[in-house]
Amino acid sequence: MFSEPYMQRALWTAVLLAPLCGLLGVFVTARRMSFFSDTVAHSALAGVAAGLWLGMPDPTWAMLFVSLLVAGLILWLKERTQLLSDTIMALLMSTFMALGVTGFSLLKGFRGELHRYLFGDILSVGSGDVWVAGGVAAVVGVVVFRLLNPLTLLTVQEDLAHVAGIPVRRLNYVFVVLLTAVVALSIRLLGIILVTSLLVIPPATARNLARNFRQHLALSVLGGLVGGIGGVAASYQFDLPCGPTIVLTCAALFILSLPVAQLRRPRPEPQ
Amino acid sequence: MSNIQFHAGGLAIEVRGLKVTLGDTQVLRGVDFHVPKGRIVALIGPNGSGKTTLLRCLLGLQTPGAGEIRLFGEKLCPALLRRVGYVPQRLSLDRSFVLSVREFLALKLRETRGWFWQPHRVTDAAMKATLEEFDVVRLLDRPIAGLSGGQLQRVLIAFSLLGNPELLLLDEPTAGVDTPGEHSFYELITEVHRRHRLTVVLVSHDLSMVFRHASRVYALNGVICCEGTPEEVMSADSLKQAYGIHVTPYHHDHSPGHQHLHVQ
Repeated sequence: MFSEPYMQRALWTAVLLAPLCGLLGVFVTARRMSFFSDTVAHSALAGVAAGLWLGMPDPTWAMLFVSLLVAGLILWLKERTQLLSDTIMALLMSTFMALGVTGFSLLKGFRGELHRYLFGDILSVGSGDVWVAGGVAAVVGVVVFRLLNPLTLLTVQEDLAHVAGIPVRRLNYVFVVLLTAVVALSIRLLGIILVTSLLVIPPATARNLARNFRQHLALSVLGGLVGGIGGVAASYQFDLPCGPTIVLTCAALFILSLPVAQLRRPRPEPQ
Repeated sequence: MSNIQFHAGGLAIEVRGLKVTLGDTQVLRGVDFHVPKGRIVALIGPNGSGKTTLLRCLLGLQTPGAGEIRLFGEKLCPALLRRVGYVPQRLSLDRSFVLSVREFLALKLRETRGWFWQPHRVTDAAMKATLEEFDVVRLLDRPIAGLSGGQLQRVLIAFSLLGNPELLLLDEPTAGVDTPGEHSFYELITEVHRRHRLTVVLVSHDLSMVFRHASRVYALNGVICCEGTPEEVMSADSLKQAYGIHVTPYHHDHSPGHQHLHVQ
């Protein structure tokens, strides 16, 4: 199965990006940012349409650019307006999604592409995507582990992080850029609709098994890896769409972790 | 203000003419507030009086519209915050965030920053004195999101003291703590103050606890309305200045042996 070049590319991309989603997902879920990642993912559709309209053979960079633009707009509107975060994100998500769908309807001969980007397709992973995924995985992995302490304290409470000397605003921006880059690049594999699931399901599975944050991070990375490889393999084996298969593999792992969570339910302890 | 006597020992906090406007409301209208080094002082006032805003200004979390803040004689800057410990009211943590007490405390010290890769005994050894002082050894493996109010406050004080601060700021520290827990918390603060020779600023609603443990009290309501020893500020006239003209202090019992002073 893995002798086929396109399968090797899909597998490498899964091996590089899925654990990264698991790692970032722990912070995304703890900071209640899953709607944020959903927003930048859906907005990427406008980037795909713009890239194809501009005649780019591979719209990855256009997708990344639009996702980062939307992430920046979310932060800017949060700081400059009285609007709630949910309102801002819903507004931007629907606007950029509508721009993407309208853009696709104006393009001739790209109808099939829309489905690929919405649900992911292992055939659409090019060798350039693998190299970009490798670069991003290296940078994000190193940065997250270098910034593990400030990032964790920021997640506990921003005021405490500020008093501890952490540049809260700058670190928030760094996290948003890393997250957006990983989300935009994972779209090839998982699709716009499902990419957030890889940021949510492995951390949720890991939470059921973990007793502390170290275990939570490690098991979430492992869950992402197993879900990514298993999903790509199952997708090939049973001729199923790649994104949904990865998500279903992750969901199966989550279901398997539930009995452990039940066994580990905290008992009342003496005060 | 009668601050001349304190200047000789030096001031931990010096606030002059502090003004803060949030939205359309001027929350602080020219606050002058001086705290001498080595004291436990209390900042009291009704809801919306600007206590938390003043605390946020001291921590550099809120930029004032006008006025000046000096800590230890120097103009407030991020580097000065290394000398400050902060105990927030609460942590809004989701139960899905499974950070253990050990991991939380390890975030503070340079030598424990490698906690992700370090064996527990190395992390624990680096924090040994603090863990024993605050009796948090038995809580080390517990997730902080699952601690009771009293346990969390002990852990937060241990966290703030790991950096050896000279000034400890506590924002409504006993909110969500039961009455016996509240009592032992203030005993702990007094003990910490004595042992570490810290300056402590308590922001609190609970006047009786504050009056029992603070050496000086500041009543705030947009401006510092009155200040002095607990006995001076506890006079009805002084409290009326801070809480409004319809205020009278009264005592009531939460439980046997724990009488509280409130205002109505």
